[in-house]
Amino acid sequence: MASGDTLCTFFPADNEYTGANPATPDLRNGHPTLDFDAATDEFALFTSILPRNYAGGGITISLVWGATSDVTTTHACRWSTQIERGDTGTDFDADSFAAVNTTGGNPSATSGAPTYTTIAHTSGAQMDSLAVGELFRLKVSRDADGTSGTDDMTGDAELYGIEIRET
Amino acid sequence: MAILSDADRALITAEYQRDCSAGREQFGNFNKADLRAAANAVDDWISTNAASFNTALPVAFRTGATASQKARLFMAIATKRFISGV
Repeated sequence: MASGDTLCTFFPADNEYTGANPATPDLRNGHPTLDFDAATDEFALFTSILPRNYAGGGITISLVWGATSDVTTTHACRWSTQIERGDTGTDFDADSFAAVNTTGGNPSATSGAPTYTTIAHTSGAQMDSLAVGELFRLKVSRDADGTSGTDDMTGDAELYGIEIRET
Repeated sequence: MAILSDADRALITAEYQRDCSAGREQFGNFNKADLRAAANAVDDWISTNAASFNTALPVAFRTGATASQKARLFMAIATKRFISGV
C-alpha cells in the first residue's frame, strides 16, 4: 500500500448513528446527503474493517461536503472525526472513541458545489491504536457550537461522502 | 415590552437557519454571529416600538383584538410585503 492510496469509503446510506442529534438524511438533486445543523452538534457513524493492505501509517480522512446556504468562502465549518478500535479488548456496550481531531473547511462560492476537507490522524493514539484487519467505527461530527474552533458558517452542511486513505 | 431571553433568541436564530436550509436558500455574506446580531436587533426594535405599533391600530381592533391576534396580523402583512411567493 502506497501513501495516498484509498483504504475505504463511506456514503450517507452507510451512516449507522441513531442516538441523540444524528445528522439528517437528505437529497440534493438526487445526491444522498447527511445534513449537519448549524446550531447543534450532530453526528454520523460508519463501520468498516481496516483493509489488509494497510501499511501501518497514519490516515487522512477526506470529507466531501457542501454548504446548503452559505457561499462565503471565508466562513468556516468545523468538522471533527474520531476513531474507535474494535479489537478483542473493546467492550461494545460502551463507546470508546479516541480523542477528536478537528479542522475547519470553507464552503464553495458555488451553491451545490462540493468542498473537500481533510483531517489527518497519526498512527497510534489518534487512531485508537487501530490495527490492520480490525473492525473500527468512524464518528464524524460538525462542531456547530465551535468548541474546538470557529464554526461561523450559516445553515446546514451536507456530507456527500468520505474517503479514508493512508497518509 | 421586555426583550426575549438569550435562549429564545438563540433558538430563533437556529430555527431560522434550519428553515432557510430546508428551502435551499442561499445566503449573502453574513456569518452566524451576524445573523444572531440581526435577530437581537429585530427583537430590540419590536420591544422599543411595540407601544407605537399598538397606537397605530384603529381603536376597534386595538381594543378588541388580543396581543396574539395583533401579532398575527403584523406577520401576515410583513409576509405578504416581503416574502416572495406568498
